[in-house]
Amino acid sequence: MLVAKGLCKTFHGRQVLRGVDFEAGPGELIVIVGRSGCGKSTLLRCLNGLELFDEGSIRFGNLVLDGGRDDRKIRALRANFGMVFQSFNLFPHLDLLGNLVAAPMIVKGMSRKQAEAIALPLLEKVGLTGHARHYPGQMSGGQQQRAAIARALAMSPTVMLYDEPTSALDPWLVDEVFDVMRKLNAEGMTQIVVTHETRFAREVAREIVFMEDGGVVEKGAPEQIFNRPRDPRTIKYMSRFAA
Amino acid sequence: MTRSGTALLLLACALSARAAPVKTGVLRWGGDSAGGAPFVFQDPKDLAKTVGFEVDLAEALAAELGLKALFVQNQWDSLVPGLKRGDYDVVLNGLEITEDRKAEVEFSEPYYLTYEALTVRKNSDDIAALADLKGRRAGTLKGALAERLLARIAGVAVVGYDTQTMLYDDLALGRIDAVLLDHPAAVYYAIDPRLKNLPGRFGRMAYGAAIRKGDAQLLARVNAALARLMKSGRLREIYERWGIWNPVMAAAFVDDHPERRAEASAYAGYLAARGVRLGWRAKLAKYAGYVPLLAKGAVTTVELSLLAMGIAVVLGLALALMKLYGPMPVSALATVYVEVIRGSPLLIQLFLIFYGLPTLGIKLQPFTAAVLGLALNYGAYEAEVYRAGIQSIPHAQMEAAFALGMTRWQALRHIIIPQALRVVLPPTTNDFIALLKDSSLVSVITMVELTRVYGQLAGSTYDYMGIGILTALMYVLIGLPFVRLSRWAEARLAVERRPRIS
Repeated sequence: MLVAKGLCKTFHGRQVLRGVDFEAGPGELIVIVGRSGCGKSTLLRCLNGLELFDEGSIRFGNLVLDGGRDDRKIRALRANFGMVFQSFNLFPHLDLLGNLVAAPMIVKGMSRKQAEAIALPLLEKVGLTGHARHYPGQMSGGQQQRAAIARALAMSPTVMLYDEPTSALDPWLVDEVFDVMRKLNAEGMTQIVVTHETRFAREVAREIVFMEDGGVVEKGAPEQIFNRPRDPRTIKYMSRFAA
Repeated sequence: MTRSGTALLLLACALSARAAPVKTGVLRWGGDSAGGAPFVFQDPKDLAKTVGFEVDLAEALAAELGLKALFVQNQWDSLVPGLKRGDYDVVLNGLEITEDRKAEVEFSEPYYLTYEALTVRKNSDDIAALADLKGRRAGTLKGALAERLLARIAGVAVVGYDTQTMLYDDLALGRIDAVLLDHPAAVYYAIDPRLKNLPGRFGRMAYGAAIRKGDAQLLARVNAALARLMKSGRLREIYERWGIWNPVMAAAFVDDHPERRAEASAYAGYLAARGVRLGWRAKLAKYAGYVPLLAKGAVTTVELSLLAMGIAVVLGLALALMKLYGPMPVSALATVYVEVIRGSPLLIQLFLIFYGLPTLGIKLQPFTAAVLGLALNYGAYEAEVYRAGIQSIPHAQMEAAFALGMTRWQALRHIIIPQALRVVLPPTTNDFIALLKDSSLVSVITMVELTRVYGQLAGSTYDYMGIGILTALMYVLIGLPFVRLSRWAEARLAVERRPRIS
């Protein structure tokens, strides 16, 4: 469904992606792991066109993006993705419902009524019914991140991208976010997650992709990557979690 | 009365254009009622009334021409540019006939002749002539003929003043040792009992009616009318009523008739009005009497400022967006606009718009020109405020909007600008308060607003302090509601500060 081939990107003279191949099928949950600066976030951001790449191509269905700055093409591709950021990035001047209905109304031209008909069930799905009139600054981090997921879902994406969704959260708030992602997984949503949380990765991921130095080192089922890594770099990285 | 012929004046002269013919039945004449007695000034007894020997002259002249005199107020420095622009057809306001001015306008035959008079403190017996000023401080009005005369004497420290009142007050207080100024001004302002006018006459000045070049028909008619007024003794009568008939005039008019044609009634009335000492009750009543006139000026100030700020906000936002997100030529254009407008004086911009644009065939009404000038100027400042405001919103907000499929414009319009609005509200309010006060500059383009009313009142009542405080208070009062409004809006928009729920 989603195929990226040979993605290369140089940023300020530093090669952050060197020929990355990546694939995701419908309903899969894929976790990308690796050290900070290994290029995993950049890869994620290239997938929905937030970041431009120099070489390679991204194919989604019959849409092909091959570098370059074609805004219409990028936005056509982006319409299939929802994205969740480490720092939530909710719109602080809008209440929760306002955050959810903004894009459907502005981008899709829906009426407020139509948009709310989509938004309210999503609030229920992420467990935030009753918070519709609260502002982001009034909510906890876990609530804000669940709201951010609901906001992305309101645009009915095919694939959800998560860029370290729990890194900014207190440890006891992590699970409420992962619970939502588990629920989506069960419903068959395609999800690509950059995270350091191995427990979640082990338990839910269909595939783990290990990246280092701008390239994919090894990919496979969680059981294989975590317990029987083959590449010495993967072994070294995983050894820290073994203890 | 010869005041500053500054670079500004020359600039405005060079730029000003030809204009409309004489309106039928009316003689529109220009003057500055803040210029002081006895020329054109607000009657101290009834401040809504404009009086002065030139007011009487204008009426006599108009009657002689079979017209009705219509006074048009303009700042003294701008009288010639306003004439060329066509705001009025004649200037009668102590305009000395000089070569410089003759290059710009036509002058009638002189209607009044005078000289510089020297005033000292009663106890300074050692000053009798200009040469005695060596090593002393001598005051005069900026740009007056007297300033040039004083500059020729070696060793005199020349101090330039803006108003006659302050000039003679400082002489009485001992801050300066002598004042050299046009004789009529000395008659009207050197009336402090501590001062005395010396008999010497220095230099010679002739005031003429200024008329647009090419308006030969009006010039001929004015000259003929002046000659008739002179011959009939009507002119002498006016000057005697105001107490400013002098031997130089007698010689020039060939009218050395020793008998007075009129009592100096206007002068006596003026002295009586100035000499009145008031109790605090009467003083309060007097100040209360100024309030309606000041309030009228204040309304103009508010109208101007609100309109100008409204336009400046829109312009500023457009410029900020051009600068931040426009393609190269557009953002460069916005940068150049901001730097040029912000870097050059508002006063000169107002002059260019009002007196300069008519050369290109664009003749704006004073109010329109004032709003436009202030708006274009403040737009440049607002642009920088809004740029800073937009940049203060984290880039992550823009990314989140992009990720949801918004275009850049949609993200700006719905996500970034609403958040930046809250950030820029306090500095924008700041700028509006500054604009309220800067709007006083538009008096150079004939607008009568709060500060101009202050100038007229203070110039006629000599109460710069009391009316000054009253005017300052008016500005504060005008600004306060807007400060409150801004605080209220700020509180409403400050969503982050709402209480946290558990």
